[in-house]
Amino acid sequence: MFALRTNGLTKTFRVKRKQPGLAGSFRSLLKPAWEEKEAVRGIDLSVAHGETVAFLGPNGAGKSTTIKMLTGILHPTSGDAEVLGIVPWKDRNRLAFRIGAVFGQKSQLWYHLPPMDTFDLISRVYEMRRSDYLARRDDLIDRFELGPYLHTPVRKLSLGERMRCEIAASMLHRPQLLFLDEPTIGLDPVVKARIRDLIRERNRSEGTTVFLTSHDAGDVESLCSRAVVIHHGGVLLDEPVEKVKREVLSRKTVKLTLSESNGAARLPPIAGTRIVRAEGRRYQLSVDLKRTAIDEVLGQLIGRFGLEDVTVEDPDLEEIIKHIYGMKKETGEAG
Amino acid sequence: MSTGAECASGSLREDERRTGLGHSAGAALRFLLTCWKVNLASAMEYRLSFVLLAGMMFLNNFIWLFFWHLFFERFPAVQGWELRDVMMLWGISAGGFGWASVLFGNFHRIASIVSSGQLDVYLAQPKPVLLNVLASRMSVTAAGDFVFGVVIYFLAGDLSLRGAMLFVLGLLIAGLLFMAVMVAAGSAAFFVGNSEGLSQQLFNIFLALTTYPSGIFRGFAKLMLFTIVPAGFISYMPIGLLRDFDPAFAAGAIGMTLLFGAAGIGLFRAGLRRYASGNALAMRS
Amino acid sequence: MNERGFRWTAAALKLHAIARVTVRQQLAYKTDFLLRSVFLLFILYVFVQLWTAAYDGDSSRTIAGFTLKQIVWYLAFTEALTMAGPPLGPRIEEEVKSGDIAVKLTKPLSYVGYHYSSYMAEALFRFAVHLAVGSTIAWSTVGAPAFGLGWMGLLTLSLGAVTVAFLLSAVVALLAFWVEETRGMEFVMQKLQFTIGGMLLPIDLMPEWLQRVCAWLPFQAALYFPAGTAVHFQTAVWLKQLGTQAGWIAGLSAAVIWVYRRGVKKLHVNGG
Repeated sequence: MFALRTNGLTKTFRVKRKQPGLAGSFRSLLKPAWEEKEAVRGIDLSVAHGETVAFLGPNGAGKSTTIKMLTGILHPTSGDAEVLGIVPWKDRNRLAFRIGAVFGQKSQLWYHLPPMDTFDLISRVYEMRRSDYLARRDDLIDRFELGPYLHTPVRKLSLGERMRCEIAASMLHRPQLLFLDEPTIGLDPVVKARIRDLIRERNRSEGTTVFLTSHDAGDVESLCSRAVVIHHGGVLLDEPVEKVKREVLSRKTVKLTLSESNGAARLPPIAGTRIVRAEGRRYQLSVDLKRTAIDEVLGQLIGRFGLEDVTVEDPDLEEIIKHIYGMKKETGEAG
Repeated sequence: MSTGAECASGSLREDERRTGLGHSAGAALRFLLTCWKVNLASAMEYRLSFVLLAGMMFLNNFIWLFFWHLFFERFPAVQGWELRDVMMLWGISAGGFGWASVLFGNFHRIASIVSSGQLDVYLAQPKPVLLNVLASRMSVTAAGDFVFGVVIYFLAGDLSLRGAMLFVLGLLIAGLLFMAVMVAAGSAAFFVGNSEGLSQQLFNIFLALTTYPSGIFRGFAKLMLFTIVPAGFISYMPIGLLRDFDPAFAAGAIGMTLLFGAAGIGLFRAGLRRYASGNALAMRS
Repeated sequence: MNERGFRWTAAALKLHAIARVTVRQQLAYKTDFLLRSVFLLFILYVFVQLWTAAYDGDSSRTIAGFTLKQIVWYLAFTEALTMAGPPLGPRIEEEVKSGDIAVKLTKPLSYVGYHYSSYMAEALFRFAVHLAVGSTIAWSTVGAPAFGLGWMGLLTLSLGAVTVAFLLSAVVALLAFWVEETRGMEFVMQKLQFTIGGMLLPIDLMPEWLQRVCAWLPFQAALYFPAGTAVHFQTAVWLKQLGTQAGWIAGLSAAVIWVYRRGVKKLHVNGG
């Protein structure tokens, strides 16, 4: 049984093409030029009940558009989708009772009122029984530790406090499927970890299916069991997060600054390591941990060069996706 | 009166270097011209809405005149005012407001610019601050107001050379007076903080007052109209300037414009000193 | 309770909850209220001056059935109603432009129903405040009202009037689903209400031909009906006006729903 299934889901927008210059502006005033932009093209996807899926891709890859189609806000240009057995854009209202959505950059809380007022409103909107609502609300207040903020106007809450309230609000009606669009954006690491814990706990205790988009590799690693990467509107990769981590997150980025110039010529080939960027005395190396341990690489470097600065980082999501994209192309050409 | 295009003043730096740092009239004029050109270009980006908005504002004013037409059908003359005078009143008020808002679209938004902290952007640029603030926005809707003013002149105005010159003078004074009053009122934001709402409401009131015949007011209200809320110098123009030219009224209008202009600039400067010294109150968090 | 009964109860509770939270949020904008009241006082003062001049200050004169006193009270009512309507157009436009509409559309709510409920709550609340403010100025300039059943006429017809005003703004506001800018059209719609809706001038004072045109337009139902009936109550007219309002509400609701259904398919939601 699927929580969500799409088949060739496609969305095309018509966007205005701007013409440069004053004369061009006047021209487009009279006769605007339009062009078609394919935001999502042919996405096939299925998600089982209780799964936690990360939906990833660079900006403009079509993530938000896909979520908006899956929640019934946008009508697709072509293709089908079924969410909890419902075609979202045909029966948005019925679907809405069973899903929850958190948009990290948009608020559902009433800005000048305490969160409690929004909770009350939501209980009516989702037609919850009074006793059920009160029990559920108190349970969430407890788990999310919202007690101190309940009666403070939202405008006076910090972003982290607000996000906890947002997520609690979206869980009041026990959604079977939760759409999270950048839920931790702009939060500090401690609050991020906290919010991830809360979401994970809901998934475990209630079997809530989670469909998440994020730019934060941490969200993906700690929340999701499966990663779907889209690029240019199509699915590029669909693998368990564990496997992606082994294959892709198996790289580390080493940034170093040498104390002397033109060391590049003397930089020895180290197994599983390649130079990604070199600018003067600064280098960026990509290390494949399956072939070389990071201390091995550092040892070799320290043995030969005077180093001013060294950092070891996880590659960021954008880079990972670029990397995957590169790999796909290679294998595609080989096959 | 709402939509505007922001001027991308960043691109003006090059001009600046060429002319040196002098705030000469020539440099200021070149700056204004560039600003207007950029504003116009960016207003054109909203292709359809440009024409729509300007057209709607034109229509909007026209509907008001329609009301007055109905009114004067019932009451052919009220305190010596006739429909034609009220038409000219609208011509002057809309036309004056129109050119001021097209060329200096921020003139009634100073309070909100100050209290929202946007002023820092202008302070960081090597240009006269007030001029830069004023010219950085072009009100698209106001283009409709201006055109309306001109059309009304051709419909109801005195088309002789003298009439035309008086009308242009009227437009000039009206626009300058609008700006002077609103710069003075908007600068209050430097001193009392968060006065946006008040300033906006004051603007609405001032604007409304310039569209009712000054003849209907008596006593204290009339006194106010020709002193601290000098809308009377605009709303008496159809009689005192255009119909029966009254040198004393014309001199008063010009004097009042200069007085408020000087007060506006003075208050803005004083406010700016206060702002720069970090004593500005109640900045929005 | 049967299924249908339950649906209606749930829907009523939803609308009530939205109305309640809207009024609560309104209470957070006290300064806004104060400033609006200042403008109301001001504009009514200007009207009193204008009409006193038009009547030559003669309080016994009657023009088209209106004495000066009736005109001033009439204008106090139309102004209180006009200024009660919240800015629906800018709100919907902003929701579409910023993509915040997504938050509402992922909830089991009718988008139009949500806005109606919120609009009514806000408008009726403001109307009550404005009525008090407007009454003070009318009372102090032209004297106490003696409208008897007129008050009942005012209150009953105001409900429908605010609904008609909502529907008229909604038709225009929903065009934001297609075009970037609805402000201009809203402005014109507003000004039509000001004039042929009878805000500035009771329809009875208009020329014969225009009165006939107004009779076929919805604008009179949004302002002239409640204010006119308040100062000149006649049972037969009142009932007829209630009927006309109901007709417009039915027709305009159909139009709003039609525009919404088409628009929501076209919707291009921006932002993250």
